[in-house]
Amino acid sequence: MVLPFLCASGSHLNLIFFPFTGDTSGTEWAVQRVRVLVANRPRLMRDLVLATVGDQPDIEIVGETQDEAEITELVERMRPDYLIVSSEEPEVRPGLCGFLLGRYPQMKILAVAAERNNSIFYWAFVDIRSKRVETSEQGILSVLRSKPELVEI
Amino acid sequence: MSVAVENISVFILAENRLLREALTRLLNKKTDIRVVGASAFSPQVVGQIAAAAPEVLLSDSAAIGLSDLQLIPEVRTAVPGLKVVMVGMEANRETFLRAVRDGVVGYVLKDASAMEVAAAVRSVAGDEAVCPPTLCLNLFQYVATQRAQAPSFHIKHSLGLTRREQQLVQMISRGLTNKEIASQLNLSEQTVKNHIHRMLRKLGASDRLAAVELCRMPGAVA
Repeated sequence: MVLPFLCASGSHLNLIFFPFTGDTSGTEWAVQRVRVLVANRPRLMRDLVLATVGDQPDIEIVGETQDEAEITELVERMRPDYLIVSSEEPEVRPGLCGFLLGRYPQMKILAVAAERNNSIFYWAFVDIRSKRVETSEQGILSVLRSKPELVEI
Repeated sequence: MSVAVENISVFILAENRLLREALTRLLNKKTDIRVVGASAFSPQVVGQIAAAAPEVLLSDSAAIGLSDLQLIPEVRTAVPGLKVVMVGMEANRETFLRAVRDGVVGYVLKDASAMEVAAAVRSVAGDEAVCPPTLCLNLFQYVATQRAQAPSFHIKHSLGLTRREQQLVQMISRGLTNKEIASQLNLSEQTVKNHIHRMLRKLGASDRLAAVELCRMPGAVA
């Protein structure tokens, strides 16, 4: 049995479905795996992100691409919770971020820097917000595991 | 019957922490590779690498850049026999040739996969070199250019060499044997040997290659 919850995120109300495990305490819910689309470059860095994320039992890789032209189509098809792209220049938001967050505001984007130790995490909350994250295994995993706010009906 | 696999010890030198951590984990999963250290560049890193005594050093360009490009020669002196592999590199001819001159034996581009990095580690540990085909061509062309330029120096008369002896030095520098020199100059092989013997005595050189080097020295070349 699947129960819907309304999740407030900025100006949007999102419907999140959680499998009902039979626990009626109201505090414990089975959480689906975080769904991630990996699309950063170059290939070596993408392999390392895949290795970091792929080993985690609570994270599911729903797709992988190095072709920027494919990203939008894959996001539309897979509707990932997180998209991982490349951060080419410091302090410069990747071109796709604004477009994708406007169209899919529930999704969050992590722009990984190949040659720097600061990556950027983007999300939509009224406007596009960003936060610096260390380009490390722990940095990436902490972003992917950051919990959504739940509003019980 | 189980066969003992000899581990290839690797030190990872990279500024990017994800590269250090994830590559360490990936390589340690291989049965024949063992990461003995990982670090970003610091003034003490040569000592760290020497203490770990790896067979292979994997380094990214950022770490080398921070060291004013002296890191590779220093670390190769500190760890004799160390094989250095650059990873995450651009396909840039000048950067590649400079790396080769510094003693790098593996050059892996940034669009290579993690599996290719592991393969490069195994190759260099097995006394092979690793470089992309296009850069390999650059290396061939570079060496050919050096070879063609070798005989174009002019030897000063102040070295006391006769015109014939100067001619011999240039031909020796091109790698010609006594027999080949004799054939080109229309001389007997014995005559060529006599000339070379006199030339070596004048220059105080122990052998023909030393004579060529002496003539290349600053001040010896016009």
